[in-house]
Amino acid sequence: MNMPTFTRDAAVRLILARLARFGQELGQPALAMADEQTRLFGEASPLDSIGLVTLMSDLEGDIHKACGVWVTIADEKAMSRLTSPFRRVGLLADHIVELVAATRV
Amino acid sequence: MPVAIITGSSRGLGRALAESLLAEGWTVHGFARSSQSLVHPYFQAHAVDVGNEASVQAAVATVLAAGGIDLLINNAGAASMNALLLTPAATAEALMRVNYLGTLHCLQAVGKAMVRQRAGLVVNLTTVAVPLSLAGEAAYVASKAAVEALTKVAATELQSYGIRVNAVGLGPVDTDLTRAVGADKLHTLNQRIGRPQGTTLAEAVVFIAQEWRAPSDTTGSIRYLGQLN
Repeated sequence: MNMPTFTRDAAVRLILARLARFGQELGQPALAMADEQTRLFGEASPLDSIGLVTLMSDLEGDIHKACGVWVTIADEKAMSRLTSPFRRVGLLADHIVELVAATRV
Repeated sequence: MPVAIITGSSRGLGRALAESLLAEGWTVHGFARSSQSLVHPYFQAHAVDVGNEASVQAAVATVLAAGGIDLLINNAGAASMNALLLTPAATAEALMRVNYLGTLHCLQAVGKAMVRQRAGLVVNLTTVAVPLSLAGEAAYVASKAAVEALTKVAATELQSYGIRVNAVGLGPVDTDLTRAVGADKLHTLNQRIGRPQGTTLAEAVVFIAQEWRAPSDTTGSIRYLGQLN
């Protein structure tokens, strides 16, 4: 049975929903206003390193719920890229779509 | 019903730990390379090579499909006695792969699930040979020292997620692993740790089980059985 494609829009929605939940938990309402350009690490990011680890772990669970596969977001490929997929929401969405697609080849 | 994963559960200490947890009402997932004969309604055997990251990830995903994970016991281990200058590189690599990388792979895969839960306990198995700097076990001791270092760093990194990571170190326990070792050597080692009578499997289980039986906030601790601490 063919699994439906996990679209980039779906990945963006997943990330933004998770960031909004973080915003509630951490008392940072600005996270509810995140968009594709929101920085996920570095000085301009609202997340510290613990927040980033939590986001990645939670997203792996969200992806499994959404499409039934477990992916490792911080894989070797991601860590060695010149442009880190963890820099912005949009780049992370691209990376997640690639990871999910790779499980369906 | 709480859920535990135990590596190296096909025999010896791992199997005894599994049986103890099952008796306490846990659901237990046993990871082992060899076939597992333990039969219990709440025991599930998984064929896993802990030194292989993909193998570990696949097995953990299977466990997660049924729910969360409350306890991980990194028990799988290999030992080898060699004089330092005569230790084959392949032996040293194999020990590091099973003892250190095996623990790391399981900790990473299960740790992510515990981060999502914001709770969990990890117990890593080490050995009294580390603090004793036991001659003739350089490669083994180095691999377990790496496990102890990993335990401390993991405890620091994961504490804020409600995850505790501790290590427990045993001397010779009466299992297949130690039956190949000479009685004189075992006796000398047991005397050094203040347990001339040796350690039975049941005593080892009781010592390790304090990690989940006794309520505690302790994390990053390394407890040794015997008079070492």
